[in-house]
Amino acid sequence: MNVTTLTNAIVSGINAGAEQFLEGTLAAILPVIWLALLGLHLGRPYIMDMIDRFTLRLGADLLWLIYIALRDFLILSGVVMSFMFLFPDVVSTDQLPLTGGFAAVMLFAVLLVKLMGDPDHNLRDFRIVTYLLGIGALFYFVPYLFGVMFNGVASGQLLTISNFLVSNTNATWAVAFGYITIALFAIMGAVAAGYTLITGGRAEVPESTSK
Amino acid sequence: MKPDDVATAITNSLVQGGTQWLISTIVAFLPVLWTMALMLHLGRPYVLRTLRRCGLRLGADIWWMSYLLMRDALLLITFGLSWFFFEPNIVYNMALPITGSLAALFLLLSLAVKLSRRVDDDVNAYRLSTLFMVVGATLYYGPLVFAIEATSQPSLAGFAQAFTSNTNQTAALVLMWISLAGVALVAAWLFVRALMSANRSMARHFTKEKGEAMSGAAVGGE
Repeated sequence: MNVTTLTNAIVSGINAGAEQFLEGTLAAILPVIWLALLGLHLGRPYIMDMIDRFTLRLGADLLWLIYIALRDFLILSGVVMSFMFLFPDVVSTDQLPLTGGFAAVMLFAVLLVKLMGDPDHNLRDFRIVTYLLGIGALFYFVPYLFGVMFNGVASGQLLTISNFLVSNTNATWAVAFGYITIALFAIMGAVAAGYTLITGGRAEVPESTSK
Repeated sequence: MKPDDVATAITNSLVQGGTQWLISTIVAFLPVLWTMALMLHLGRPYVLRTLRRCGLRLGADIWWMSYLLMRDALLLITFGLSWFFFEPNIVYNMALPITGSLAALFLLLSLAVKLSRRVDDDVNAYRLSTLFMVVGATLYYGPLVFAIEATSQPSLAGFAQAFTSNTNQTAALVLMWISLAGVALVAAWLFVRALMSANRSMARHFTKEKGEAMSGAAVGGE
């Protein structure tokens, strides 16, 4: 072994290790983000109660804006941090929840409903968002808890199920799910872009003048 | 191998590995910035809807200002971090999305539309800016997902070979030079435009001040 070979080996080690560390950290933070955004979404009645008790309009406005900003920023962060589920190399190398990509799709769908509807003032839209978040949380937490965080202690049939739920021990399914996730992201992204192009970025679609 | 050789190898690898790691991290982080920028840009109707419900002008102003700052700062940062797509050595040696430089050019075009037209008041300007961003993001995401991050997939080997910068070096460099020329043109146009606009507004201001001074002198002389 000469200096160059050793240098290359260390460089590869640093790059691969750092990348896996970064992805592992993201995967570890994602459950926290999921819990926080679920808590904020489900805590809406509590916030509304507080707002009703404010005697000053300024305080009520600020509380509502901070609440909305925090809640929506967490949803945005959740989608962005779930981007690794779209990368075939990452899902087949790292220990990730098998259906984490579908959870990201649900979060993206929530953003789409918020863009095209009005979940804060329309009951139907609010229900859709709540269902999407609930299903998304199931897609994330079930394989995370019973796969990624259980395969070290599970045995027998449970270990088989646990391994099935982890992306790098079930790479074929994980990559296939990744492709489906990419397709769903692309479709919803196109819908969002199309909607924004039609409305021109305004709050509502302009009403047609023809009768 | 002597201890000195090992020390040299570790030093070299820390320097080279650190550089590569930094660039790889930025490449991996850029989709995050692209997605955030795109979502904030496309989310404008939602932000406006929330804005309208603010009872007080102060709350509405804070909300709108925060949105604008985040949205436009993200665009600028994304373009800034995309700069290494215009560095030939890096494009030639590292595995980058081959159309990364073109994506950066489209991002700059979107920024140029924002700088030259009132995107938040002019619907067509907003649409144009959106189109540039969507095209740019597609040019970035496609090769990143199906080439750079799909080396383990034999079915995508051909695509990966064609769309990774260090496995299709000639095309990567050609695209990079074309994009760089585009960036230079847009930057020059923005530079001239800013200069002319400043000249015009300052000359108007100067003429107005001069006129006021002259009329003041005439009134004083009477």
